[in-house]
Amino acid sequence: MSKKLTYQIVVLFLLAILLSILINNLSINLSRSGLQLSFSWLLRPASFALAENPLPYSPSDTYAWALFMGWLNSLKVILSSLILATFIGVFIGIVRTVGNSVLGFLAAIYITLIRQTPLLLQLMFWYFVAFLGLKDSIFMPIKGMISISNKGIEFLGLSLSSEFSALLFGLSVFTGAYIAEVVRGGILSVSRGQWEAFRSLGFSEINGLFKIIIPQALPAIIPGLTSQYLNLAKNSTLAIAVGYSDIYAINDTVINQTGRTIESFIILLSSFFLLNLLISNLMEVINKITLNSKKI
Amino acid sequence: MIKFTRNIKRTLSINLFNGLLTLAILLIIGLGFIFTLNWLIFSANWKVVTLNLPLYAFGSFPVDQRWRPALWIISLLSLSVITLIGPNRKWLRKSLPLAWIATLPLGIYLLSGGLGLPMVMSRHWGGLSLTILLTECSLLFALPLGIFLALGRQSELPLVKTLSSIYIDSMRAVPLIAVLFFGQLLIPLFLPIGVEIDRVWRAIFAFTLFVSAYIAEDIRGGLQAIPNTQIEAAATLGLNQFQITHFILIPQALRIALPALTNQAIGLFQNTSLMAILGLIELLGIGRSLLANPEFIGRYIEVYIWLASVYWLFCTFMAVLARHLEKRLAIQKTNI
Amino acid sequence: MEHIVSAKNLSKSYTKGLYALDNISLQVDEGKVLVVMGPSGSGKSTLIRTFNGLEAFDAGELNILGIRIDASHDERRIRQIRKRVGMVFQQFNLFPHLSILENIVLAPVQVQKRLQTEAEEHAMYLLAQMGIATHANKYPSQLSGGEQQRVAIARALALKPELLLFDEPTSALDPERVNEVLDVMRNLAKQGMTMIVVTHEVGFAKEVGDQVLFLDSGKVIETSTPNVFFSNARHERSRKFLNQIENK
Repeated sequence: MSKKLTYQIVVLFLLAILLSILINNLSINLSRSGLQLSFSWLLRPASFALAENPLPYSPSDTYAWALFMGWLNSLKVILSSLILATFIGVFIGIVRTVGNSVLGFLAAIYITLIRQTPLLLQLMFWYFVAFLGLKDSIFMPIKGMISISNKGIEFLGLSLSSEFSALLFGLSVFTGAYIAEVVRGGILSVSRGQWEAFRSLGFSEINGLFKIIIPQALPAIIPGLTSQYLNLAKNSTLAIAVGYSDIYAINDTVINQTGRTIESFIILLSSFFLLNLLISNLMEVINKITLNSKKI
Repeated sequence: MIKFTRNIKRTLSINLFNGLLTLAILLIIGLGFIFTLNWLIFSANWKVVTLNLPLYAFGSFPVDQRWRPALWIISLLSLSVITLIGPNRKWLRKSLPLAWIATLPLGIYLLSGGLGLPMVMSRHWGGLSLTILLTECSLLFALPLGIFLALGRQSELPLVKTLSSIYIDSMRAVPLIAVLFFGQLLIPLFLPIGVEIDRVWRAIFAFTLFVSAYIAEDIRGGLQAIPNTQIEAAATLGLNQFQITHFILIPQALRIALPALTNQAIGLFQNTSLMAILGLIELLGIGRSLLANPEFIGRYIEVYIWLASVYWLFCTFMAVLARHLEKRLAIQKTNI
Repeated sequence: MEHIVSAKNLSKSYTKGLYALDNISLQVDEGKVLVVMGPSGSGKSTLIRTFNGLEAFDAGELNILGIRIDASHDERRIRQIRKRVGMVFQQFNLFPHLSILENIVLAPVQVQKRLQTEAEEHAMYLLAQMGIATHANKYPSQLSGGEQQRVAIARALALKPELLLFDEPTSALDPERVNEVLDVMRNLAKQGMTMIVVTHEVGFAKEVGDQVLFLDSGKVIETSTPNVFFSNARHERSRKFLNQIENK
């Protein structure tokens, strides 16, 4: 018992020494550059423009407001990618498990292409090739309803910038490949007997899949889905590569302007902490709902 | 009887639908294939790739010294091939892990120079050789750190357990780019005046911190999968806590965690591309700087397809190598 | 002379009022074989596992090879005991990542600091005695259950123990594999090894056992010679138990 205590005191002591050295260095470095830690600059005007602002914003607004816009932009792209990625992932996951062989083969190619190449490269492809590559030629699959050009996507009056669209598609297609594997694993975790059971009851394949198999697969799917959603949120910070003003990109601009590295880093981390909390709680609620509906 | 015909009708309609669907998809694939082939051969201009192959491989490494990174990459590839073949001689097999570890100091020596070789500053390191260096270095540093963190999280000492958990959980909650950014901008602030670490090593430091948290969780999963009876059997033989950890727990945990660790390695290899937007000119960075060159402006598709193929090839190769290793190290389910 | 094992009033309770071991006392002398029998859940595994400290107890004291341990579960003394007491488990518990030879050599080299070559020589001698020397470079998963259990015995013997504990060593084996393990144990008894064996093998107990200890609900119901126990058990509960295993 006393031996354990000694070990812990030694660990604590070493950690305290390390931390005090680091903090000492930091304060020396900060005082040399004349930037004492402070957050009051947050209330000064940001004086940079934003390409996208979900709420009214002008360069005369404060840094704090600009950062908040970034946070909202992050939230916007995360939530919409999350929905699109889920659709892609569920569809591909089902196709890969129960689809016909040609579709299954295509799905397998999609998954290896997406998983064995860097996300950053994929995002650049979506932005520079898929959207900016369109020049100003407008691509209209369904006349009047949707139009796609290098300005982005117009969909029934809703207009999405090309930066947002590239990020949305890049993140969704990427995360979809991972969600597909989660869904596949979940479907395969349901015993073969359940398939035979619904077939013998006269259910069609699709009907049985959605009414019998998927509800049973959900408890196995949701934890994997949650971690994919959290990954998606983290990956959304690559927005800076396509010039979308998410929380990380705006932090980057702020640091370049003010030199407030430490403070911005703290803000970045806490905004992320908040985003993570939001997603995990959301998933917790979904998890509870599915568990409850299972009991009935 | 009615039911029987209905069943047949249903089967027929499903088969008909399935057949038509397959035909349609095959048609689309065929058209896409022809279109792509046409583009690849007639429209694409591959000069942006073919003229710059040495750049993709070595970055701005001095031309007369390019043999050094080349030698390193060749030694890595040949070691991979030896590992894949799986030599029969016991001493050769036992020395393989050591040989892999030795490639790291070899690579650093060949890239940076000294001891008879002209020095090359790290800002001239680039391309594939830098990508590989970032990956291998971070991985080899992160592995022992990850093992310690995993053991720490399982520790009986509450303080060690808490500290390890806090580190692992917070690292895993943060985006990688934030950690890399921390490495580039914040590390200098925490160092004493006069001490400087260059960009490449700061990146490796940040990657190591980040990946070790993920490796720790994979190894913890491996540790938890080891049945308690293994520890009992070892304790019965008189092995102490350290010996049990060293000879029984870690080797088994590593084997169990190998598939997950492979995914980390592949993920890390891909993620080194993030340094392209943080000031290093690794593989993707070379592509970006070439696209900024007026001579090759607008050649996005060619560069991206080329880079994607290189990444894909290396990642697939790593997966094959790991699967081979897994097979050889597999703990087959004992017949208990 | 001193007993190899002597237990005095050992008690261990899981929850209040429910005893895993209830006031157990026993002695084992050098060169003797004690067979422990009892229905499942009677505490026989718990009892044998206290003898090398895998299981702690709440009250009483234990003297193994002259080393005394009590409820305080002193780690240092327990390690001293473990260096001199071997144990064989029901599920073999070989180390799956080590070859057969490495399994056996690990403890002699790491714990007793013997030379690798000397330890390997001894291991090969033991494997030859068990009739499995050709498997030395294989891995546990490549062996049958009976072979694995013989490796486990060799692993325990490699430390040259003064006492061997067997916790149902044949219960996990296919019936046709049981005898190859029991033969090895018979030989050990002949060579004068002191052993405590938890088992349901009546034939083995009759032939090899010097004493049979019958345990039920953590209590010693009776201790008799095999002759008395199997033909003329003194207690109703013992007779009921014997009927049950005969009917199997």
